Order: sequence, then C-alpha cells, then structure tokens
Amino acid sequence: MHEMGIKGKGLKTPNNQKEDKIRSNLRNEEQKIIMQVENLSKTYYQGKIPVHALRCACITVRKGELLAIMGPSGSGKSTLLALIGTLEKATDGKIILDGTDLTSVPEKLLPRVRREKIGFIFQHYNLIPTLSALENVELSMRFSRMPKKERVERAAALLEELGLGGRLSHKPSELSGGEQQRVSIARALANKPAVILADEPTGEVDSKTRDSIVRVFKELSEKGQTILVVTHDPEVAKECSRILRITDGVIKDN
Amino acid sequence: MLDLIIRNIMNRKVRSGLTVCGIALGIFAVIVMGAMSENFHQTFERSMSVTSDKIRVFAESGVFGGGLTDNKVSDVLRVAGVKDAYGILMTTFDEDKMGMTGKQILGIPPEKSSVALYPVELKAGRFLNPGDSYNVVVGSNIKREYKLQIGSKFEIHDKYFTVVGILDYTGSIFDNAVIIPLETAQDLYDVGNSVSYIFVVPDERVDTEMLSKRIELSVKGTSTLSPGELEVQARQSFMIFSVITISSGLLAAIIGGLCVMNTMLMSVTERTREFGILKAIGAETRDILLLTLGEASFMGFFGGILGILIGTGAVYIMNAWLANTRIVLFLITPRLLVIAMLFAILIGAFSGLYPAYRASKMSPMEALKHA
Repeated sequence: MHEMGIKGKGLKTPNNQKEDKIRSNLRNEEQKIIMQVENLSKTYYQGKIPVHALRCACITVRKGELLAIMGPSGSGKSTLLALIGTLEKATDGKIILDGTDLTSVPEKLLPRVRREKIGFIFQHYNLIPTLSALENVELSMRFSRMPKKERVERAAALLEELGLGGRLSHKPSELSGGEQQRVSIARALANKPAVILADEPTGEVDSKTRDSIVRVFKELSEKGQTILVVTHDPEVAKECSRILRITDGVIKDN
Repeated sequence: MLDLIIRNIMNRKVRSGLTVCGIALGIFAVIVMGAMSENFHQTFERSMSVTSDKIRVFAESGVFGGGLTDNKVSDVLRVAGVKDAYGILMTTFDEDKMGMTGKQILGIPPEKSSVALYPVELKAGRFLNPGDSYNVVVGSNIKREYKLQIGSKFEIHDKYFTVVGILDYTGSIFDNAVIIPLETAQDLYDVGNSVSYIFVVPDERVDTEMLSKRIELSVKGTSTLSPGELEVQARQSFMIFSVITISSGLLAAIIGGLCVMNTMLMSVTERTREFGILKAIGAETRDILLLTLGEASFMGFFGGILGILIGTGAVYIMNAWLANTRIVLFLITPRLLVIAMLFAILIGAFSGLYPAYRASKMSPMEALKHA
C-alpha cells in the first residue's frame, strides 16, 4: 500500500501518464455533455390502443452543439422535443439536462426548469400578439421575477444583437415572418437557457429568411449555446453539426 | 403583472366594456336598494333613540281593537315604578292614501307634549300648552311640504289649526308628525275618550321589562310593549325589509357576475394557445391565475366604480324629484359605498375563479396545439 502511494504521488510511469491523460480527456468530454437522454419512451393511448410515439431514445448532446432532428411527419420528432422541454411527461426513461434529471422534477417545479434551462422556438413563432417585440422578449424574464430595468435592458440588447434594434416597440403583426422568428429567438435566449429547442423554426419563412435564421443558430452555437432543431429542410440540417433521424418513434441514425 | 392585466382588458374593449356594464348594472341595483335600506335603517335607529325609554301600553285586543280609554291612564299611574303616563291617539293624516305617506296625527295631552316628544327639540315656536285646542306642532317634513310658519293656518280633517311649534329635523317618524291636543283629536275623529296606546315613563333605575310585566298584571285588559320588546319587533321588521331590498340588489349583481364568468370563459378559450405559450416560457400556475383572476377582478372594480357613479346619480335625482312630495326614500352612506365596491370586486374575482382554474390547469402541450 505504502509503495503504491509513493508511486502514485511522484514516480509516474509512462503507462500511468497515458492513463491519466485518457481519464482527463474523458472527464473533459463528460463535462462538455449538456444533455443525456436515456431510453426515453412515450406511449399515448387512442382509446385503449397504445400508440408508441417514441421508443427507447438515447441521445447525448454536447454543449454548443447544433443538432438537427429529422424524420417524416408523425415520426416522433416533436414528441422528443416536447419531452425534453418538459411540456409532456415521458412514459419511461431519463432526460438529464445540465445535471438535472428532468423526468424526476416534481410538476410544481417544471415552470422553473422551463424558465431557467430551456428556451423554445416554435414554427408559428407563438409571440403574444398584444405585446411589442420588447415585451415579448421580456415576458419570460418577468416570470423569473427579474427587476424591470434589468430585463428591459437585456431584452433590448438581445433584439439589438439579432438586428431588431429599430423594431422594439413593434407588435408581431407589424413584423415580417423572419423578424418575428428572430424575436422568438431572442425570447428563447432571454433566460440564458442550457438548451434551445426549435420546432420547425424555418417552416414558415422564405429561403432568404431561413438562411439568416440558420446563420443566427450557427453563431449562437459557436458561442456555446446548445440548440436542437426539428426540421424537414435538408438545407437547414446540412448546416447543423449533427443530424439525428427518427422513424416511427425510433432513432435510426445518430 | 398589473400592466398585462389592464392591457388584456383594453385589448378587448367592446367585450370588456359590456361586461363592465353588466357589473355596473348590478351594483347600480345594490346602491339603489341599499340606499333605500340605509334610509329605513337610519329612520329606525333615530326613532328608537327618541322613544326607547318609554313603555307602550295597548288594549289587550291590539292597537286597532279599541277599548283603551283615558280611564286606564289613572290605573297605569297607580302601578309602582311608573313616573308618568298619558294616552296618545294616533291616526293617519292622509286617510285617502291609507297612511302610505307616513304622515301621522298624534293626539297628545298638551301639558305632556314636550315630555312625550323628548329628546326632539323645537326649531321654532313652542310645544303645546294646557288650554291649547286648535293649535298644532308640526314635524320638519310637514313644515316643508305645506310651507308652514309659526302662525300659519293648517287644515286637518276640515278644521283649521294654528301652527305654534315646528320640530327640528330628527330623521325619525317625528319629522312626519302632526301633533295636536289629545281631546281635540278625540273630538275631531269622534272616538270618545279612546286612545291608541298609553305612553309610560318609568321611574329612574326601574327595570323597564319588569315594570312592563307589572303593568300587564295590574291593569286588566292591557298588553305592553317594553322598549326591549319594541326594539326586537322593530329590528325583525327592519331585517325583513333589508333582506328583501338587498337581495333584489344582490340578484342583479350576481347576474353581472355571470356576465364576467361568461366573458372570462370565452376569453380563456380564445387564449388557450396564449396560455400554452406562457407556460412553455416558464409561467407558473399562480402567474396564470393572477392574470385571469386579476382581469376578472379589475372588470369588477371598473363595474363597481361605474355602478356606484350611476347609482349615486340616480339616487340623487330620485331624492330631488321626491323632495317635491317631501318623501326621502334613499340615503347613501359611506358604508354602503364600501360594501358595493367590495362586492363588485369580489363578484368579479369569484366569477373569474373557474375560468382562471381552467386556464391554470391546461396542459401546455395541448394548449399549444389549440388553433
């Protein structure tokens, strides 16, 4: 024991050094993992008939990854996103996001998880029509009880960063599709989430706007923001760092 | 959150406006009915304070049964503990109106008039004196209605009386009283020496309830109403009146509340997707509850303000109109305003409870799928 202790302290052999390096690399790799989905399943019931929307999905997502999730309609892409976003409860499996097992979080605390760890971007933008761009972005910070001055400043800065500095007081109906989606991106970023879940974010926009949105995603990803994008569009998918394909609720290609 | 609540209300101007009108109508009814009840309450309280120290002795057969005469007064006076006693003849002033105007003729022995009316004070002139026959003391409302002054001639039952005294305003039944000497009243209405009841002034430190019982036992053919019994009877009548008036107001306000519930349910259904978005971006259940309940309460608040304004205006106009007939029917008190306002807010909030509960319990995923 004593000998081993001395060995361990100062006299490292080349073999030991190699092992340490491997361990350190593994540790770094693990640190980079922001989300782990383990055997995630979701079964709905249509009357008494079970519908398996997702079966034993396993995914590992690293920090800053821009991950495309592709698959035909009804394949389970949106279900996967809804489960990760805690909008639905999984039938089985685990989702560990930023160190928290989302499947074991009590119902009461889910809003807090959504506020602090998740940002949503929807196909139809889903902005509140009666609020201005600034107020829409400010809204999620409002629920975090952030002081007004702070949240207005942050919302304005985010919109500025996304090229909407001159549109702060515009209502969604006064903005183009691309602008609305950028407001929606700013809203998703407001609370500095661990992951952004984007469900068909380019589904309603023209190719030029699509490219600009994808560019924003790539920039965010480069800055370390993890983004999961559900898309049908191969042009969007090819810009992502990885593509995950789902068919009939099963991940076929990861 | 307050700005969001107000904005949501303002964004649906027509619908919110109609709902606020529904509440306002209910609160209007609460104010008008409540003002009537408050006026009755005030008259009752003041009348009680003016006559609370006296025992009333009636004929056993009741006040309309007859059989109570001046002779009984001397019997009553002999009962231990009785300081003074005198008969009073009470009849309606407007016989053709069945006494609906509340004006009353009170036949009182002239020498007892100041005692009988105590603590009511004179505004002008004097009380009746021994030897007065066709002199009269009038209440403040009678004075106003017939524009009487000291020395004016006043016709009662085809006879002319001279006004010798005008009572101060009391807010009690004495404001509508026409006080004439008892004997003159008995002659005028041809009732012999009958009286309606006997007023008994107890000795100081005498238990009025006990004295009341003693009179009933000592003077045959009489029944008594002690101040305590009178108060209980009067309060019961007042309660019934209040329940009738206030419940009609409340009913109207509840209908206003149903308006709010309907509006809020429609609003919640329309905004299902919005609630889904709010939940997806991290709104807590209490945030959703606060938003929806806040909207309903604010509509109640605005409806309350509007209802109070319209109600107060209507009461003012009706009182001014009724002033020609010298009848005061409505009285707005701070208590009534506070109750009406609280009621408006509560009914709004209560009506918003179910819609708010529905909104807060929505599954965010289902809500987001809503078209």
